[in-house]
This record gives sequence, C-alpha cells and structure tokens, in this order.
Amino acid sequence: MAAPRPSSTITPWLIALGGTAAVSIAGYWMRLNPNTVGFAFLIVVLLSSLRGGLLAGTVASIVATLCYNFFFFDPLHTFSIAEPANWVALAAFLVTSVIVSRLVIAARIQADDAERRRNELETLYGLSVDLFTATNRVGALGEAAGRALTLLGAREGGLVLFEGSPYRQNVVWWNGEKPDEIEDLIAGIGRHKEPLEFPSPLGRDVYLPLLIGGKTAGTLVARGTDASMHALVSASGLVGLAVEREKFIEENAHMQAIRESDTLKTSLLRAVSHDLTTPLTTIRVLTEALRRKADTEEELRPTVAGINEETQRLKRRIDNLLSMARLEAGKARPRREPTPPADIFRAVRENLPLVFESRPVNLRVEDDCPDANVDPSLALEILVNLIENAHRVSPGGAPLELTARTHPDDPLQVRIEVLDRGPGLPAGVADANGNLLAGATSDVAQRGLGLEIARSLAAANGGSIGITPRQGGGTVARVDLPAAPLPAMAAEPESR
Amino acid sequence: MTLAPVILVVDDDPAIRESMARELRVSGYTVVTASDGLEGVRAFETHAPDLVLTDLSMPRSDGFELISAIRPTTQTPIVVLSVRGNDADKIRALDLGADDFVTKPFSVPELLARIRAQLRRIGGTAVKALQFEELTIDLERRRVTQGGRDVHLTPTEYSLLELLAVNAGKPVFTDHIIARVWRDAAGTTADTVRVHMSALRKKIEPDPSSPRYIVTEPWVGYRFIAEPVS
Repeated sequence: MAAPRPSSTITPWLIALGGTAAVSIAGYWMRLNPNTVGFAFLIVVLLSSLRGGLLAGTVASIVATLCYNFFFFDPLHTFSIAEPANWVALAAFLVTSVIVSRLVIAARIQADDAERRRNELETLYGLSVDLFTATNRVGALGEAAGRALTLLGAREGGLVLFEGSPYRQNVVWWNGEKPDEIEDLIAGIGRHKEPLEFPSPLGRDVYLPLLIGGKTAGTLVARGTDASMHALVSASGLVGLAVEREKFIEENAHMQAIRESDTLKTSLLRAVSHDLTTPLTTIRVLTEALRRKADTEEELRPTVAGINEETQRLKRRIDNLLSMARLEAGKARPRREPTPPADIFRAVRENLPLVFESRPVNLRVEDDCPDANVDPSLALEILVNLIENAHRVSPGGAPLELTARTHPDDPLQVRIEVLDRGPGLPAGVADANGNLLAGATSDVAQRGLGLEIARSLAAANGGSIGITPRQGGGTVARVDLPAAPLPAMAAEPESR
Repeated sequence: MTLAPVILVVDDDPAIRESMARELRVSGYTVVTASDGLEGVRAFETHAPDLVLTDLSMPRSDGFELISAIRPTTQTPIVVLSVRGNDADKIRALDLGADDFVTKPFSVPELLARIRAQLRRIGGTAVKALQFEELTIDLERRRVTQGGRDVHLTPTEYSLLELLAVNAGKPVFTDHIIARVWRDAAGTTADTVRVHMSALRKKIEPDPSSPRYIVTEPWVGYRFIAEPVS
C-alpha cells in the first residue's frame, strides 16, 4: 500500500490557526450567536483536516474548542466549561476532524493508486508499442525491455533469453551488476516457470519467466523495483509475446529465403532442361536425314547407329540428372499412380531400342502381379538404368530377363527383377542380402552412376533396390515398389 | 493424285523448326512454319493446314494461346511438343483441345506415326469394322476377333475397346472414358476403369507382358497404340 502524500506546506496550519483566530475575532467583535460561531469553527476544522490530515484537524479541533469556550461560552474569558454543550461542541469538532481526515487519507490513497496504475499502464502501453512496432532490427527487443524496466522503477536488471536450455543464457540487455548467482536464479526461473520476488539490498528484486507455448524462453529481471507485481507480470507477458513474434519473423524470413531459393532452382531447372533438350531434339531430327543416307551407304551405318546410341544415352542421362535435381530441389514430388508393369516394360523397350535389337530381352509379368503405385516416368528411369547396366556387362548375344511379380514376402509390393549373365557382382557393391553398401556404387565404374541414380529414384518412389548374384552366373538387380492392387468389383456377364 | 497434307510447324527454335520441316517434307507433307503463337494463328488462317505441330513454351505468344485461338473454330488436329518433366503443361494443352503430344527429344519415326494417326482420324469415313494387326472390331455386330479367335467381352469391355480403337493413336482421358462408357454414373472412379481395362487387356493382348493394343498414358488415361491396317 502506498503512503498518503505528506502535508509539506504550511497551508493546513494557516487554515487551522489563522481560521480559528479569524472566526474568534469576527464572532467576538460582531457579537455573533454562539451557534453560528460553532458552525464557522466546524468549517475551519473541516478545511484543516482536508488539507492537513489528522494532525492539523486535531490541532484545529482543540484550538477551536478552546477559543469557543474562552470567547463565546459563559463564564466568558475563562477556560472552564460550565455547560455540557461545550463538551458536545468539542467532541463534534474532534469527531469531524478524525472522520474527515480518514476520508481524505482513503481518497488520497485511492488517487495515488490510480495514478500509479495509470503510470504503469502508460509504461506497458509504451512497451507494447516499442515491442510490436519496431522490433524488426537486431537489439530492438532488448532496448525496449530495458526502457520498460526503467519506467517500472527497476534500478538494475535486464532481459535474458535461453538458447535451448536455461543454462545456455543469452543476455539480450542488462543494466547494472550481474553477479554469478544471478545466472543460477535465472536458470531456476527457467526450470520452475514461476515468478520469484524477494527483498534485496536494492529494495525488492523480481524475476519473471517469459512463457511461450508452455515453455520458458527466458527471464526478465527487475531489481530494486517498486512496481506492482501485476504490472511486472504483464510486462514479462508482453516481452514473451515479442520474443515469439521475433521468432516468427525470423522463421518467416528463413522460409522466404527458402521459397526464393526454390523459385531460383525451378527457373534454373527449367532453363537447363530447355537448353539441353532443344539441341538434343535438333540432333535427333538431323540424325534422321543421316539415317536415310545410311540406308544406301553401308559405311555410314555404324556411324549413324553410334550417333543414335550416344544421343539416346545423353538424353537418358539428362533425364536422370534433371529428375534427381527436381526431386532434390523439391520442385517435383513423385506423382504416383497405378501403373501396370507391362506398360513400364513397353516404355523401356521404346527407350532402349538398340539394346532390344542387339540381344534377346525376355519380358515376363506374372498373372497375379498387381500394378505398381509409382511415378511412371521415374519407374521407367530406374529400369532403363538397370537394363543399361546389365546390357553393358553382359557378353554379346546373352539374353537379359525382365520380370515382374508380387513380392514373395509382402503382397503390398511389386518386385521387378533384371537378370543378366554378366561377370557377376563386383566386390563391395552389396551385402549378402543384396542391399547396396553405402558409398560403394560410386567406386564401381561399370555400374556406378546408373545404380546410384536407380537407388535414389526407387527411394523417391517409396521403394528400394538390391543386387544379388544370379545362380549360374550373372546378377539379379531387384526393384521393390509399392503395389496398387485392383479393387474388388462385381463381375459383369459377357455378352457373347 | 491427292494433294499432300499441309502441316503447320510452330517452334521458336529455328534449328528444330527447320530440321522438322525438312523431315516432314521428305515424308511427303507440305510444311508451313511459324516462330510463335501469334505468327502461328496468322499462318493457320492463311494456309488452313491439315495438322498443327506446336511447341508449348515460346516467347511473346505461346502454344497455349495458339491452341485457345484456333480450337474453338476448327477440328484440325493439334499435336504439341512437350518437355519431359512439364507434365502439367502437357495436360493443360490436352484440356485446351490439343489432340496428342510428343515429348522432346522425340524420334522422327515416333513423330511421323503420331501425325499419321491424327490425319487418319480426321480423314476417316463411317466404317463398319476397325482392322488392326491380328485384331478386328466389327462395330455393327459388336464382335471382336484377335488372332483368328473370337474374344468374349462384357458390354463395358466392348465399349471401352471401341472408344479407344476409334481414337487409335490419340490419348483418351480417364474422365472422358467415364463420361462416354459409364455416362458419368455415380460412384464410377478411375479404379473402376482400371478394373475393366485390366480385364479387357487380359482378353485381347496375346502377350500381356508386351502390350500391343492398349497402354496407360501416365497422368492422362489410356491410348490405343496399334496402327489400323488399311
């Protein structure tokens, strides 16, 4: 509770003594009725109490009673009280002065309280304006908190934020000394999430947690403050909100940077895709003219076939790299849809005409094999890479096999296998279960890039690849992909 | 002697435009070229081509604007040249009224096959039967033979086959199939189409591991791939 304002002037005493004297002189000279003079004394007592409090009121009461008795009550000019009415007058003056003083004191306390609340509200308002309109620069948060603490009467203190744990403290702003034990107190507030208030050499210290989403983000310390707990808690709430807001602003800026980076990546990918595809398209169209010429000139045929093969290989590599870049840039997510393995096989045949012309490739899709739930273009790239690998390591004319069936252990997966009769699995590519060893693929020149690309694309499709030795020589490259079984539906009768 | 079909080639890259024009001329077509959508619209109005072959991404006025400008007034086939990875563009072009697409870098034989399919489709007259290699569809009797044997289809399977075979060479949207075969019946989904298509393919494909007639067209629907036997 705040103390009433002390009477610092002589006005109440002037009123008490001067007023009593004036009433006595006026009443005596003018021979006024004692009742009228009594009321005049009462007014003087009232005014004295109002301006000077209980002491001035009591003094005024006593002096007024004495004067009243001396000048206006029989026997005149003596201090003897012959009539009980005099005692009543004295009591009335005293009671009046006490009641009025009490009322005045209560009113003053209320007024002081209201004034202090107004000041605190102004401080909190100023703090909120500081925090929420100008925090978009480093240090603004600490400066605003510092200003608020000063306005809330804190002689020392500051703002400390936690970086992950209450023991990793970032002092955003601090005024005054900061002995080591304060760090422990601040950490304690971080753990217990409750305000702490205690007397100190500076008067009264208050430690307030900054609560964000149930967690303590830091502590606001006000040392030697006489501000109300309510105002201090409100200030810490505001600072907590501002800290949260700064976090959001930072995250937003980070997200904005990511978005801008993604946009840049997307336009780069588009440009690269266009710039690589356009000349390749022209080369393929121009090669067609050469191919016609080669129909009549025997010597030209292997040259044209070579250009064709290498152009297609370049196209596939560009496709691979762009797919990987798109997936990594987050530009493209695999767009999965139910795809019959036979359709993927057909697309493989169209993409690798030279492989299919140069050796037998046996395709087999088992009757009960479900559709694969994959991105068709990525599934195609996976198989093209595996078949190119198998083709490259297999002796001329040796057949390749491409099979699709339900996964033997998991009916919700499709297993596609590429079987070759090549030299077998190089050491260090896969473990005994066929799982590719980390980092191994890049060391194996013959299978390296294709296998690595196939692995990445299979993973992006929710699948996996593995490679195992094939019985009788060669390898089996397997791709396990999620299945999209056909839903059960009522059979329809055939018309004929 | 019949006049050579006129093909309008629209592409902003002169190398692609000229090399394609040369190959098309060698294949017996008359070729008109334009370097963007605006020029394409003008050339279309001047030369009334039998088919339009257009790139999608072009400065000033792109392929989408060209399709939007000419499709409302004509049924002339439009084949778009799309870039792999821009499937959304491809689907948008088909939605706007393009009839087919080839993905760059395409092979010339593939492009010529697509062009032949489109020209055949618009030149077709009312026929009683559709003939493909080892597959005959008797449209009057609703009878299908494959490799000399009768194929017994359910009414839905037959309708599916007929719809795709009539549009041979052209991708057909799953939504279009639902609208035409199921007449947009409530509860019909892409899965319903899948189930019936799977059954149909098992019945007509001699080797289900190497489809000869019907393939899925990723993110679009289905395509009948066999070329008609004249």
